[in-house]
Amino acid sequence: MTMKSDMRFQILVSVAALAVSMTTGYAASQAISNTLASPESFSSIADTDARSAAMFTELGKVLTHPRCVNCHPAGDRPRQGDQSRLHQPPVERGADGHGTETMRCSICHQKANFEPGRVPGHPEWHIAPREMAWEGKTLPEICAQIKDSARNGGRKPEDLIHHIGEDTLVGWAWAPGYGRTPAPGTQKAAGALVEAWVKTGAICPAN
Amino acid sequence: MTTLALTINGRAHGPSEVRDDLTMNDFLREHLGMTGTKFGCGAAQCLSCAVIVDNPDGTSYAGPTCVVSAASFNGKAIRTVEGHAKNGEFSALQKAFIEHFAFQCGYCTAGFLNEAQVLLERLAKKPVARAELEKTIAEGLDGHLCRCTGYIKYHEAVRDVILADPKRYLV
Repeated sequence: MTMKSDMRFQILVSVAALAVSMTTGYAASQAISNTLASPESFSSIADTDARSAAMFTELGKVLTHPRCVNCHPAGDRPRQGDQSRLHQPPVERGADGHGTETMRCSICHQKANFEPGRVPGHPEWHIAPREMAWEGKTLPEICAQIKDSARNGGRKPEDLIHHIGEDTLVGWAWAPGYGRTPAPGTQKAAGALVEAWVKTGAICPAN
Repeated sequence: MTTLALTINGRAHGPSEVRDDLTMNDFLREHLGMTGTKFGCGAAQCLSCAVIVDNPDGTSYAGPTCVVSAASFNGKAIRTVEGHAKNGEFSALQKAFIEHFAFQCGYCTAGFLNEAQVLLERLAKKPVARAELEKTIAEGLDGHLCRCTGYIKYHEAVRDVILADPKRYLV
């Protein structure tokens, strides 16, 4: 009986330790994913190219976040929620990215978030063009795409500073409303990273 | 609070003060007592709550009322299921719905009726070939859910109305 009790106690302790470890790990990963390092924090990287790539990797926390990827879908249907499930009701991008003729985004998505309906909103609510799809892509692939004017809406790298740092639709990602995790950091911090990345040569990470 | 003034079924309502978090569905059903517009899923997925919104350019669309604020309808003109019959006479669509027994429980009927009316008005402006009709109706009514699975009956009812006036709706 004593041995059985000891064994039971040991198993209990192990399970508890594992649970604590998993919880701590989860909390740590949550804390990490919700912050964004400043450009200055990369100053210890002497090599400019390596620093530039490292800053883009940091920016990647934003670019690969569900708040961004959900509306940069690979197909014609946006995704939604932190789980990036397919949008319900089953809407499609339509000719201009604002929905089909009979199911425009603005029918449900109003000028601002409407919390009673749990519906996010912005005056220009729409999905990114097909050539700007980020879903399923690696960070280096997104980086190459974001620098390619044929796949970034004809923008120069400098234009991305404003687009990511100041565009109000992009800014929605940091104030997404009930039930949606905001993008890491702040829009200003993301803009600062883009600016520093561009000024250091806009180098893409290798992996 | 927000001031709301709009036109419903051709009649001016307001201005009145409404809460910013009041949904359009609650405004119709609870404030105005217009319970013909239903509340179904509450997530814009079944469209039983859809009403017709008339755009200033003469076009119209059917949109949900359950997930949108009443305040967002300020200055707009909408039509609800209560506005289809004129002088006590059912519309052609309503008659066709009855003839086909298109509804069982009837909960989705108002949404289907409004969507079908929008489809008729769109076809009157932009007729389609007969060969395209089945697809056009299916796509037009797509998104509306009927738990009694009355889809075919709704489809046939709408088709009957269109085929009864081919010069108007078909090329």
